[in-house]
Amino acid sequence: MGAFTSGMIQSIVSALLMGMVFALVALGLTIIFGVMNIVNFAHGEFLMVGMYACLLFSTMTGLDTLASLPFAAIVGFLLGVMCYYGLVKYLLRGPMIAQLFGTFGLMLLLRNLALLIFGSEPRIAHHGILVGRSFVIGHGIVLEATKLTAAGFSIILFLTVSWILNHTKVGKALTATALNAEAARYMGIPTERMNALAWGIGGATVTICGALLVNFWPVDPNIGLLFTMIAFATVALGGFGNIKGAFYAGIIIGFLIYIPTFWDTTTMAIGDKALRGIHLFSFKYTFVYLAYFLIMVFRPHGLFGIKE
Amino acid sequence: MKSFWKTSLIVCVIASFALVGGIVPTAKAAPKVIKIGVIYPLTGPAAAAGRELRAGAELAAKICNNVMPGIDMPMAKNAGIKALGGAKIKLIFKDHQGNPQLGADLAKQLIKDDHVVGILGCYYSSVTKTVSAVCERYGVPMINGSSTSPALTKRGFKWFWRTTPHDKYFTEDLFKFLVGLTQGKVKGVKPVPKSDLEPIVSACENTEWGSHVSGLIKTMAKKYHFKLAKSILYAAKAPDLSAEVQSLIEPKPGTMLFASYISDAILMVKTLKSMKAHPKIIWGQDAGFEKPEFRSTLKDNIVGVLTRTVFIPSIAKVKKVAGEVNALYKKKTGHDLGGASARSFTGLQAWVAILEKAGSTNPKAIQKAANTIMIPGEYLVVPWKGIKFSTSGDEIGQNVLGSGMIGQYQKDASGNIVLQAVYPFELATAKMIYPFKGF
Repeated sequence: MGAFTSGMIQSIVSALLMGMVFALVALGLTIIFGVMNIVNFAHGEFLMVGMYACLLFSTMTGLDTLASLPFAAIVGFLLGVMCYYGLVKYLLRGPMIAQLFGTFGLMLLLRNLALLIFGSEPRIAHHGILVGRSFVIGHGIVLEATKLTAAGFSIILFLTVSWILNHTKVGKALTATALNAEAARYMGIPTERMNALAWGIGGATVTICGALLVNFWPVDPNIGLLFTMIAFATVALGGFGNIKGAFYAGIIIGFLIYIPTFWDTTTMAIGDKALRGIHLFSFKYTFVYLAYFLIMVFRPHGLFGIKE
Repeated sequence: MKSFWKTSLIVCVIASFALVGGIVPTAKAAPKVIKIGVIYPLTGPAAAAGRELRAGAELAAKICNNVMPGIDMPMAKNAGIKALGGAKIKLIFKDHQGNPQLGADLAKQLIKDDHVVGILGCYYSSVTKTVSAVCERYGVPMINGSSTSPALTKRGFKWFWRTTPHDKYFTEDLFKFLVGLTQGKVKGVKPVPKSDLEPIVSACENTEWGSHVSGLIKTMAKKYHFKLAKSILYAAKAPDLSAEVQSLIEPKPGTMLFASYISDAILMVKTLKSMKAHPKIIWGQDAGFEKPEFRSTLKDNIVGVLTRTVFIPSIAKVKKVAGEVNALYKKKTGHDLGGASARSFTGLQAWVAILEKAGSTNPKAIQKAANTIMIPGEYLVVPWKGIKFSTSGDEIGQNVLGSGMIGQYQKDASGNIVLQAVYPFELATAKMIYPFKGF
């Protein structure tokens, strides 16, 4: 296999794995939006809480970061439910702008709390079953254990959430609330509890994602903004509230972030000196934001969403 | 006549008030405290470096302000600045958080509100650039001890002096070292075929400093006839570097060169490990690669990694004063002096020597003293020939007597990871580990 082919396969594999991780980041956001039509600006901060929760748990217990996943999920679920009953429930009574500013305020609160407690220095898991491990699957193609595991959990969580929504009573109640909250209330569905549940599930999925991310991605109190932006772009691309769409859009985002690598591999193969001199790594997130902008302008209901 | 006496009386009363109250100064008294503003990144991704820089400057101030017979340097002989009546140095620290605009604002604050005599800082070349521009505008002297972007001393500034050698010298040192490796000049290594060291790839962060290093690597690779396959710039403080590393390892490099601050440097090595990179040489342009956190976090993974540095504790064997100051620094912080702390120390030491020579806090006098000062190398903790600033040519304010070192992380007898000097060849403190054993 030539350098170009193996380079391309490596880029595709890496983009796929990262894409699934980004999809998992966006899962919680799309659930909350799907059920309640509310945008959670603090979504990235929930992820940050998951990352810190994982680090704290593994430091205090001495256990592997993987063992912290249930702990992170509980923290995320409780955080989501508390945010709903403590803040969002009241915001829903106000205009749309109040909802936007409310979750924006929550974002600032969580970020500054983290700054106060943990300081501004980046932290990352340095030890663990997965940290620094990888597998060579032939022709020099490397699979990083941390990303492979995170991608695996992403698939599991997407399937689980889809199954819950489509095949359980609670899921159907959630879907009913999402479709028409008033009608669902008339049918005896406790919509307020369903809203809280959506926030709980949203919080739990994103904190699990945070606990997986911290194995290869440093956390600091400001990390949330990047992930909020990525999650927004993913949800916009996939269609607001569309869970399947979020998964596919996450993968597209993964490929967008790997554009510089594809470019590099291609220009290496072409061998043109001038082209090889153009490196795009400084702009790798720019492609994501550009896609976000374009989708909002030309297809606001997303690639996989249904036009209302 | 009556009016004459009346006028005389009024004049006498005013004169006596003036003398007592100091309205008309008879002779300007020497200040008791000399305030120097110190702007470093005390929080944010480079906070670890900031702590080191701060500790280095504080130690130099402590030595200056007290008589320390055990330290073999002039500023340890007196308590305070002798030429200014024993005035003590007071450091006012500010945190620029790696933000050039914030750095400039802090410089204004220090000059206008705190009335500092001068400024020391700022580590990040990008911040040094904006801060020095403020100092230039206000005519306030600034000494820079640790920013290595060559462009900083190419602006013809009259109020900016840099003690540290800059990246051009450091990068050239690296290529001289690689050439030496092919010629068998490196202690413990037989001549290495040049093809083993090629191709070279580099990854530098994309701020002022990293971009310059990247350009210098290209220039030097051409000058010394090494094949440079890739030279990428990545977004500083990057949260994920796997795409960059994947691109770097694609041409199967013999030598990998980096210019990264601490969080990027740690992430880079971790990603190199997980992507199974196996070059023969890994070299970091100081900064993140030399911080104590780099060593404590990555442990055995960095055995064999090279870093450009200006200070290695083992040079105490050949430089007495370095050992003396290092012992004090270790007592204060728990670890040895590093490139950042040693240069911060030296930066403040230069400030003290200049004030001593100027004998005044007048900016013009300080400027004249800085332009004519010569601090001999024997009084410095860093292995330089001395400090003497260029006053002509295309590098105004640059110390022309500085030089760099290359260190390699190795395990000592007790299993600790220490930095050993491998370049300059005559100062080598251990045999070099070649090739890099892999992760």
